[in-house]
Amino acid sequence: MNTKALSPEPIIKLIELSGRFDAHVAPEFIKWTDENIPASQEYLLVDLKKVNFIDSTALASLVRGMKHCREKGGDLALCNLQQPVQIIFELTRMDQAFRIYTTQEDAFEKARAEYIEKLL
Amino acid sequence: MKLAIVTTYPPGKGSLNEYAYHLVEGLKTKEEVEEIILLVDELPTNEPDEVYPSSEDGSVHIIPCWRFNDPTNPLRIAHTLRENKPDAVLFNIQFASFGDRKIAGGLGLLAPLFSKLLKFPTVVLLHNIMETVDLKSAGFGTNPITQAVIRFAGTILTHLVLSADLVALTIPRYVEILQEKYRANNAVLIPHGTFNDIEQPSMDLPEGPLQIMTFGKFGTYKKVEILIEAFEILQNRSGEQPVELVIAGTSSPNAPGYLEGVAERCTHIPNIRFTGYVEEEDVPKIFGDAAVVVFPYTSTTGSSGVLHQAGSFGKAAVLPEIGDFIELIGEEGYTGETFLPDSSFTLAKAISRVIDNSDNRITLGQQNYLAARGLPIAEVADWYLLHYAQLQKEISFLPATQSI
Repeated sequence: MNTKALSPEPIIKLIELSGRFDAHVAPEFIKWTDENIPASQEYLLVDLKKVNFIDSTALASLVRGMKHCREKGGDLALCNLQQPVQIIFELTRMDQAFRIYTTQEDAFEKARAEYIEKLL
Repeated sequence: MKLAIVTTYPPGKGSLNEYAYHLVEGLKTKEEVEEIILLVDELPTNEPDEVYPSSEDGSVHIIPCWRFNDPTNPLRIAHTLRENKPDAVLFNIQFASFGDRKIAGGLGLLAPLFSKLLKFPTVVLLHNIMETVDLKSAGFGTNPITQAVIRFAGTILTHLVLSADLVALTIPRYVEILQEKYRANNAVLIPHGTFNDIEQPSMDLPEGPLQIMTFGKFGTYKKVEILIEAFEILQNRSGEQPVELVIAGTSSPNAPGYLEGVAERCTHIPNIRFTGYVEEEDVPKIFGDAAVVVFPYTSTTGSSGVLHQAGSFGKAAVLPEIGDFIELIGEEGYTGETFLPDSSFTLAKAISRVIDNSDNRITLGQQNYLAARGLPIAEVADWYLLHYAQLQKEISFLPATQSI
């Protein structure tokens, strides 16, 4: 689990996960999201590029994180979904519930555009 | 959100009543849910003492409005929905929820279609599908013509259920079947969820020798000979804690006398204990005292109930590399050290990696505990709410006053 601040404005906090994202990793991820729930118009971005497996508990932890973020006016977005993970998102229709971007850069550009639009 | 749920509910005895109870308990905790209306079956009049509970905080209202095997159920349910104007509707059903008579049971499955026609965002949680029902076991005999007719009717009924905005299924294979056979693009996987949180087990072990335990009914595809050979190898390792082999359970009914024969042949090997049949109240101690649970299987038929038990007690497992067994249990979140099913040497090494490395033992046990604990139903409730939010974005709302 690797985390960093991706941009100063809007603030995007990034977490990069790798390997299996399952019931074993989910508690640590929940702890991180709880500690990094963004303020209004800030984002958590979860990069799943190196994740090759996701289970229902991990997916539930993403739902939980997204829900908490949206309650605060922010959001939790995802990027770089690999095929096995993408299949699970499609099977559960979570691909329609989350904002999903192809790359970190794509997520950053969209978030920045949205942030500017809100400012205007 | 004002959510209507068409379901059975305790003290009603219909199937899925307990599931409904736990799902409602989960939904009640959600801020988005302001009110839950339960459209339940009428209780039998011959048991006048049984009444539906009234909600203490007024957040749940129970309206008995349908009856098992009543062909008018879909109309009555639609009428009740129109009167109460919920923001969303959930059907917690299986194919025989509305009746075990063919006409009444089948007509009941029109209710989701009516709900959809009334413009309520409608989700059906379907607990089974016709394609996986064993008609012979279900009492429909072996007559191929009868079975073909029932399968055809099942196909039509499935199409009816698929008229809902979303059909939630709890098993990935069910979703795939609906997608492939019915070209359904509204079938979605939502986990079943677990009702009760399993208490975090202790990772401490009792004083004395480390217990290597195997559990089950032995003699068919569960064979203990290889485990006994591995145990002898482990007894000869130096500088480590002494070990005890606990063989818990009985011979399989299909292999009578198997364990008794094994016990006679290994009387010369010290520290092997045959427990015989383990009473239910003794199961926690058997698992709790074990340092590792070993699965000396020669073949498998899927996942393992004993592995689920081992997980619920936070135990590390040693598992055979047979077919896709490791992959299968891995998808369920379980893990363990592995061995080649015909090699006592690799089995001894795998056991050693657990019992002689306390950190590894605890890590594996913790992961299996998390897998056994599963996803609490309160978390599953969030998935439904998320889908309703998505549906509300997609559906253009019309006043729910259209006639059907």
